[in-house]
Amino acid sequence: MPMVLLDCDTDIPEREKHIYLKVEGEDTRSFLPISNAPTIPGTLSERGCSFCGAKLVIGGVLKDTIQMIHGPIGCAYDTWHTKRYPTDNGHFNMKYVWSTDMKESHIVFGGEKRLEKSIHEAFDEMPEIKRMFVYTTCPTALIGDDIKAVAKKVMADRPDVDIFTVECPGFAGVSQSKGHHVLNIGWINEKVGTLEPVITSKYTMNFIGDFNIQGDTQLLNTYWERLGIQVIAHFTGNGTYDDLRGMHRAQLNVVNCARSSGYIANELKKRYGVPRLDIDSWGFNYMAEGIRKICAFFGIEEKGEALIADEYAKWKPKLDWYKERLAGTKMAIWTGGPRLWHWTKSVEDDLGVKVVAMSSKFGHQEDFEKVIARGDAGTYYIDDGNELEFFEIIDLVKPDVIFTGPRVGELVKKLHIPYVNGHGYHNGPYMGFEGFVNLARDMYNAVHNPLLKLAATDIRGDIQTPVREAAE
Amino acid sequence: MNTEKVDQLFGYVQERCLWQFFSRSWDRQENIDGVLKAATDLLTGKDPARETPMERLFYADAKVMVQDFKARFPWLEEAGAAQVRDVIHGLKDRLAEIAITGSLNHELNHTLY
Repeated sequence: MPMVLLDCDTDIPEREKHIYLKVEGEDTRSFLPISNAPTIPGTLSERGCSFCGAKLVIGGVLKDTIQMIHGPIGCAYDTWHTKRYPTDNGHFNMKYVWSTDMKESHIVFGGEKRLEKSIHEAFDEMPEIKRMFVYTTCPTALIGDDIKAVAKKVMADRPDVDIFTVECPGFAGVSQSKGHHVLNIGWINEKVGTLEPVITSKYTMNFIGDFNIQGDTQLLNTYWERLGIQVIAHFTGNGTYDDLRGMHRAQLNVVNCARSSGYIANELKKRYGVPRLDIDSWGFNYMAEGIRKICAFFGIEEKGEALIADEYAKWKPKLDWYKERLAGTKMAIWTGGPRLWHWTKSVEDDLGVKVVAMSSKFGHQEDFEKVIARGDAGTYYIDDGNELEFFEIIDLVKPDVIFTGPRVGELVKKLHIPYVNGHGYHNGPYMGFEGFVNLARDMYNAVHNPLLKLAATDIRGDIQTPVREAAE
Repeated sequence: MNTEKVDQLFGYVQERCLWQFFSRSWDRQENIDGVLKAATDLLTGKDPARETPMERLFYADAKVMVQDFKARFPWLEEAGAAQVRDVIHGLKDRLAEIAITGSLNHELNHTLY
């Protein structure tokens, strides 16, 4: 079966190159969806902007860093608190939002002075904070504000502060993915190697591409502590600015999200010789495999086996309770990119769930190679899906639950199909052994929630609830 | 006969191993060569090299894979060193073909990460 042109895409036939239905006997040498390509005019994409990829996904996670958004207030507000990445210092990053609040006059006359003033104001208001990211946005990039020059001037005025600039306006790329890239490469070029970390263990690593969504990093860190492994830098879950400056000293880079953060792992390998080990942190089987590989690298296999045995004893019976009740559930995964390939086999192996459709907002072809290799025949693989395509795919595969973001989640709720927040989670963490039980619980509660059926009930007798109007 | 065996190992690697899908063709080739060399050593009773960080990385990936191979494919226990080398060689060719030479991924040969 080649690529698929859905009925709703008759007027935008280019979409055929972005949707694939796998059949037995085919592999990625024959068909690979086009991805990381400009959204086709006429399609209602749900992608975010490139600035968002830098700020919301990576930079804004740091727990000790002011995130100064040089642009209109909306750019700051819309990339603040929509993702739940707590910290162990009172959630500093989620309590505050910073913006230069650019208005028309600043656009006309230039915003550099306003940026400089805003940076000083922020540091004055928060004297205990000495680190800052400054982001350009679409309007301030268009008028040519030189945020690097402003940052340099402020650092000269305030020798105790350090500022990193991210010049990635929303229009810089086709999706959030460009923002990941710009931040990764900027950081390795400008900040890695500028501070020497304190080494406290003979085993050191960086944990890359995990953003402490509802405590993922903090949960996994209990494993690394039990194994005696020092994590020099978490990129960037529950992380600090200065920890990330010392990434060059780790013996190993362990990568979870290869899409958002593979770039810095590649560069650390190229420039500093630090090897890159990719693992999956969601799922029992995968998590155990990841721990085994890390321990084999350090030669501490026995410790790893003891940890896995402890965690299995504690959590496997709970997982199995859910597996018994979830087996055969049909799931759709409509998220950013990597969770497609991280989750498709883990929910199948650990929970007996069948993934019937997957859509990626910003994945590259590398992500589709991974997910098509891992995913089932009969499953749809979609790049940059639009709303009408989602409705048509739902009709084709009839999922019992959809893991996606709140925007699409609201859409599918109107069809009385349960959704679980696949980005920020419902009640995470979802990584690790305990986390995957949380995921199973949220999936079970969603699938068996009676409210969705009740919501379709209309007490006015023969009036049928018009649940399909949005798709018609 | 070995084709079937290569198919089995190939199916496992496609489904389980992220190292075959690194960002660029040279990283993929390095991983395929490194992990499969360590795997061959493990399957033929040799002790894989673990001197350099990269050798330790390949060993870590290979060790887990070989354990799974043995658990899933009992014929490996009875295979002699020559057959192991033959099958792994076939696996290496298949992986290089799907992940590098036959890949439709347009980013594979970009000079920058």
